[in-house]
Amino acid sequence: MKQFSYTLIISISHLFVCYVDAFAASAEKSVIRVNTTMQAFSLIQPWEKGAASTRLGLGAVLPNNKVLVTAQMVTDATYIELEKPDSSEKTTAKVLTVDYEANLALLEPLNDKNFLSDREPFLLNEKLSPSDELEAWQFESNGTPVSTKITVSKAEVRKSFLDTSNFLQVQANGPVQYRSGSFTLPVAKNKKLAGLLVSYSSKDQISSILPTSIIKHFLKDIENGEYTGFPNLGIMYSQTLDEQFRQYLKLGKDDGGVFVSKVIEGASASGNLKSGDVILEINGNKIDSRGNYDDKVWGKLKFGNLVRGIPFTGDIIEMEIIRKGERMKVSFELIRRPTEDYLIDPYMFDRGPKFSIIGGLVFQELSVPFLKLFGNDWRTRAPIKLLMAHANPEMYEKQGNRKLVIMTRTIPTPATLGYERLSTLIVTKINGVPVKDIKDVHEASKSPIGGQHRIEFESYPKLIFLDASLSSRLNKALEQRIGITQRLD
Amino acid sequence: MKHLFLYLSLNLLISCIAYAEEKNNSNYEAVVRIENSSLNPDYKTPWNSGRDSGGNGTGWLVAENKFLTNAHVVSNSRIVYIKKVGDAKPYRARIVHIAHDCDLAMLELEDPAAFEGVKPFDVGTLPQLDTTVKVIGYPIGGERISITSGVVSRIDFLSYSHTSVDLHLTVQIDAAINPGNSGGPVIQGGKVVGVAFQGYSGNIAQNTGYMIPPPVIKRFLKDVEDGNYDHYVDLSMSDFPLLNPSQRIALGLPNDGIGIMVSNVEEDGSAGGILKTGDVLLEIDGLTVKSNGLINYGGEDVNMNEIVERKFAGDVIDLKIWRNKQPMNKRVTLKRFMPYLIAARKYDEKPRYVMFAGLVFQPLDRNLMAAHNMKSLQVRYHFDSYVSSNIYKERPEVIVLTSILPDSINSYFNQFTQSIVDKVNGIAVKNLKDVHSALSKNDGDYIVINLLGNGRPIVIEKSKIEEAQKRIQSKYNVIKDNYLGPIE
Repeated sequence: MKQFSYTLIISISHLFVCYVDAFAASAEKSVIRVNTTMQAFSLIQPWEKGAASTRLGLGAVLPNNKVLVTAQMVTDATYIELEKPDSSEKTTAKVLTVDYEANLALLEPLNDKNFLSDREPFLLNEKLSPSDELEAWQFESNGTPVSTKITVSKAEVRKSFLDTSNFLQVQANGPVQYRSGSFTLPVAKNKKLAGLLVSYSSKDQISSILPTSIIKHFLKDIENGEYTGFPNLGIMYSQTLDEQFRQYLKLGKDDGGVFVSKVIEGASASGNLKSGDVILEINGNKIDSRGNYDDKVWGKLKFGNLVRGIPFTGDIIEMEIIRKGERMKVSFELIRRPTEDYLIDPYMFDRGPKFSIIGGLVFQELSVPFLKLFGNDWRTRAPIKLLMAHANPEMYEKQGNRKLVIMTRTIPTPATLGYERLSTLIVTKINGVPVKDIKDVHEASKSPIGGQHRIEFESYPKLIFLDASLSSRLNKALEQRIGITQRLD
Repeated sequence: MKHLFLYLSLNLLISCIAYAEEKNNSNYEAVVRIENSSLNPDYKTPWNSGRDSGGNGTGWLVAENKFLTNAHVVSNSRIVYIKKVGDAKPYRARIVHIAHDCDLAMLELEDPAAFEGVKPFDVGTLPQLDTTVKVIGYPIGGERISITSGVVSRIDFLSYSHTSVDLHLTVQIDAAINPGNSGGPVIQGGKVVGVAFQGYSGNIAQNTGYMIPPPVIKRFLKDVEDGNYDHYVDLSMSDFPLLNPSQRIALGLPNDGIGIMVSNVEEDGSAGGILKTGDVLLEIDGLTVKSNGLINYGGEDVNMNEIVERKFAGDVIDLKIWRNKQPMNKRVTLKRFMPYLIAARKYDEKPRYVMFAGLVFQPLDRNLMAAHNMKSLQVRYHFDSYVSSNIYKERPEVIVLTSILPDSINSYFNQFTQSIVDKVNGIAVKNLKDVHSALSKNDGDYIVINLLGNGRPIVIEKSKIEEAQKRIQSKYNVIKDNYLGPIE
């Protein structure tokens, strides 16, 4: 673990130095309005964007002309604006770094490098602990600062923005009245930044706060040069509460331990842990049979914080494990499996879905956002073969698939006669060439066989044909109507 | 190929709607009321005998002491009675043959004396469109015989909702049909031209009733002549219409509207190894197949499967196909394709199960899916793709851990319900008997059960099992801890 303090990091960067101990933050000078316009691409008609919407939130001013917000604030943003709450002075901003998994983004003014020079940047409060009094800072519409006091109760490792990413989150109690323009709120302790408030339940009066430990990790990663993101271990595990199971695994009375039930290819554990291992200790922290370690401040926390929240990619992690009844130590380097390497993209922001149209047949790479088109109960309503591929990507990965290409739908054209009702079919080959990602579709479409495209699916109807010259004429006509007929990158 | 559009068919038919009919000089005495007491198995508690239920339908005399009715009228039967017009006395009957795949059953009386001298109906031929028919039976609305009439509206190849996977020739009529009509005769010219069997409920479609036509009735009668019902056979393939000109060019076919493309071919079915994806069926037993799958048979355009429908196990079918831009002839010997049955509603079978240490193992089928409200992706995938992904080859029976009877021996196992059993003590599970025999083996200290898609096995200490089994059986009233099927 490379545990530098934040002050140490920023002192390296000389621009920060003058601020470091000079000021304590204040609501009106350290918190800034962030107004974003967002417009996501359509997954049903991937050539177009949906309607634009506006999101208003608050960012924390950081040294060196930067503003910190949640990633949620800037997903699919087409236009970002910083607004000083006191003077309503505005400037356009851009995203420097965004991490959707950690739900953090760092912004800076696009052109006006001095826009924030009259602000008082936040320092980060390192220590957050139960029963701390925090202040959530907001503004009335006339710019008057409003401070609400909330009290820290506990912390948990849980999902925040993406349902696949778990990070440490702090919970605080107390009523928070949302003012106009408050999608996310900076929260302060002793006038130093304590975190970003990411959600609030008015029923229970509980706020969830992304704490400074995660923010520091994010900022330090940026400072280190190219942003790499939080490491992932890449395992699935089970608890070992069942006494019969514990005896079978030869676990002692004082052992905790979690059972590794699956190791995902390409992440940190791949090649280092095996399905069937029991993890007893991580970096000197004992893991109990529920999968918790004892955190000095927060008490029991999911061990995920030890592999994701604290260390960086490139760090060496040490574990004590039981493998086939034998205790041993393993250590390995932590890495992050890039999102692009997943067979099925878990999320998709700031870019259009990849697709390619041939004569009216729409081909796309399967993604979780696509599955979510089937509604809140997509896990039961989406086509079963697609859900199975999502749950067991190795079924396709071992066949060499980089992505899973599906024919999502048919735009009725003269070329697609008889195929109007075909949809969400897994594509195996086009013109005899195996299809492993969307680029293969485009490449294969250049080599029709005898003037006809031969398209093969995993399931019924298995095989269809399209007239190649008619399809390319229709593609040109479609381009006139919808703008583009493919997006391969 | 009754299962042809298994995954595509959207079936709104309601079973259990019956009909009846007749004409002025009618042979009412040959139309009987059938009262069935049934015992419907409960797949959630498979060790119990089931729930008592009952219903009534209609039947008719087809030969001396042989009554025909719908299979669904006498499914899961415990006791059947037949009642005659104008005679209050119920006569005890027994089921001679029951054909769930075409929803027909044959009954006989223990004592035929009451029907001596009653003339059986003759079975006629397929009625023409827009001709009048009468439905006779005992539908709701009263106790006595009822007659309605209507015209033949449509002749089509449709799903029989009793099993929900079988498709056969069906005739739609607009005579009123109501619950209780099921199994009753539809009469034209004094002959039976149909057996009333299903319809839509009034809030879906009006005046839409269906009857089983003579070809299906006659096939059933012929099949049982040897004393056994041998079921329908199947080409076990699916087809895709050749409507797109590109398909014809690519396959090298003239643009003459002839031929239908072969899509899936089930490897273990009749056409497995003979037909393959991309073949085109041009002729079936000498009859030209159009690009929508219809043939002209007896002057009518009918589904090409009508040819298969009339045949029996072991019969052959001659196909002219188009492959590699060449015509060729293929001969297929027909047989049943059992894996389709996973999706069929089953009757007259006791649910099979193994209860071990409170864990209930059952083979996957439609009845199980319905009873347990299966949510698990693994289970739904195996059910849905059992045939299309050839799962049946590796796992003839997919064994599901359906539920757990809570006990100290299994108190951490709840997460495992609705999982599929892959291995027991290292032995791959192919059917329920494998589970039972692997669990009964007496070596090692633990029973280790591996579940599909879950790396964490179930581990049970052997020394604790005997006592737990007794405790669970007595606590949950599980009279017998397994039923593996009828003794062969």
